[in-house]
Amino acid sequence: MIRIVAASKKPTWIALGIALVLQTGLISFQARHRIDTSFVRVWILDSLAPLEKLVDRSTYAALYVWERYFALVGTHDENERLRHQVEELRMQLHQNREDMLELQRLRSMLSLSSSDTGKTVVARVIGRDPARSQTITIDKGTVQGVRPDSAVITPAGVVGRVIYSSNFFSIVQLIIDSQSAVGVLLQSTRRQGVVRGTGGLSLDLDYIDDDNDLKQGDTFLSSGLDRIYPKGLPVGVITSVGPRRGLLKMVQVRPSADLGRLEEVICILEHPQNADSDEPAQGSANP
Amino acid sequence: MTVYPMARVSTLGMLGKFAAALVAVVVIQGVFSFKFKVFGFFDLPLIFSVYYGFTLGNPVASIVIGSSLGLMQDSLSGAVLGANGLSKTIIGFLAASAGSKFAVDQPVTRLLALFLFTIGDGILVTILGAMVGPALGATYSVALTSWALSATFNAVLGLVLFAYHDRWSHATT
Repeated sequence: MIRIVAASKKPTWIALGIALVLQTGLISFQARHRIDTSFVRVWILDSLAPLEKLVDRSTYAALYVWERYFALVGTHDENERLRHQVEELRMQLHQNREDMLELQRLRSMLSLSSSDTGKTVVARVIGRDPARSQTITIDKGTVQGVRPDSAVITPAGVVGRVIYSSNFFSIVQLIIDSQSAVGVLLQSTRRQGVVRGTGGLSLDLDYIDDDNDLKQGDTFLSSGLDRIYPKGLPVGVITSVGPRRGLLKMVQVRPSADLGRLEEVICILEHPQNADSDEPAQGSANP
Repeated sequence: MTVYPMARVSTLGMLGKFAAALVAVVVIQGVFSFKFKVFGFFDLPLIFSVYYGFTLGNPVASIVIGSSLGLMQDSLSGAVLGANGLSKTIIGFLAASAGSKFAVDQPVTRLLALFLFTIGDGILVTILGAMVGPALGATYSVALTSWALSATFNAVLGLVLFAYHDRWSHATT
């Protein structure tokens, strides 16, 4: 009886061993950069992302129908005909507003695209990180020219950078990710520094030449020294300047772009190197 | 030379349904985390790894399920490829082992298990991430808060989903 139990447990240990060796091997290869494992990610991303897009669109459609129709049933039962008229007009009005907002967004994106940010492509956000790091999935990939380290922005400010690209989809690391950093300069005094993600909703100032004249409300722009983000894009606004800890004051920065409500973003495919590009990179972000 | 086509079809069908369910779990997690911010605190792949570990009574299947869910989760996120895979593999195995030794059909046991598994998952994924990429930096308090919140959310959602799935399974058998 003991033998039977022991024999029946053998496949479990074999399966566990194989699974652990496979996963550890993947991690090890990435750590040592011996073998390029990105094909695994590309393959799975290309397989799953279309489904993600489908679910995203279906959810959007279902929410749209729910919010614009079912949620209104029963609220105006006094006058059936009038209620239908009101609903139709409301839907039409709402649709027009949505169109107008979309038009405004696209116009601002077009004006930004035609400025000195270089070659760009507009992408739609289709998913957010199913694990707990701060990333989003967009519907543009290498076929559209998006590559790892492409900067991702909105007209409001810097969003993040592409860390993985498959053929038609890419994963973007947001600037609030704890492993992300952006080279910045203070708009008012032009002092250069680095802001780092906290993994929460804000950024922390990691380094600056001189922090004596920092005050709440000051704006940080991208310095371009990290060679990822073009110079001069809004990165964030100082929300609090705390007491000194070590060499620097504790400074919290709110991202300029609303990272919680991203719908469309702009990927910068190529951007002209700024005049300071021969300086060493200070705030290059790492995945 | 006897062939049982019906049996083979039903096995394939079951495997297909399982695979579709696993893909659906990861895709729903990705889309819902984006649509509803609070969903970012939930970890559906972890909940499903634990649930199937507890209920399937098959450690090999639990290991395969955990491993696949974790790998897909890694691919759709910026995490190190294999970090969630390794973590969910271990969780699937531990859940299956616990399921065969303890009475895991009690809500309190499930609540506690989900809470602890989530914390363990967070720690393991963070350590593996730091081994491959740069260290987490000065954000451990944020990470701790995030793990605690996520563990609470997962425990509660898991309890509801377990109960619902149990009822559904009883109704169909």
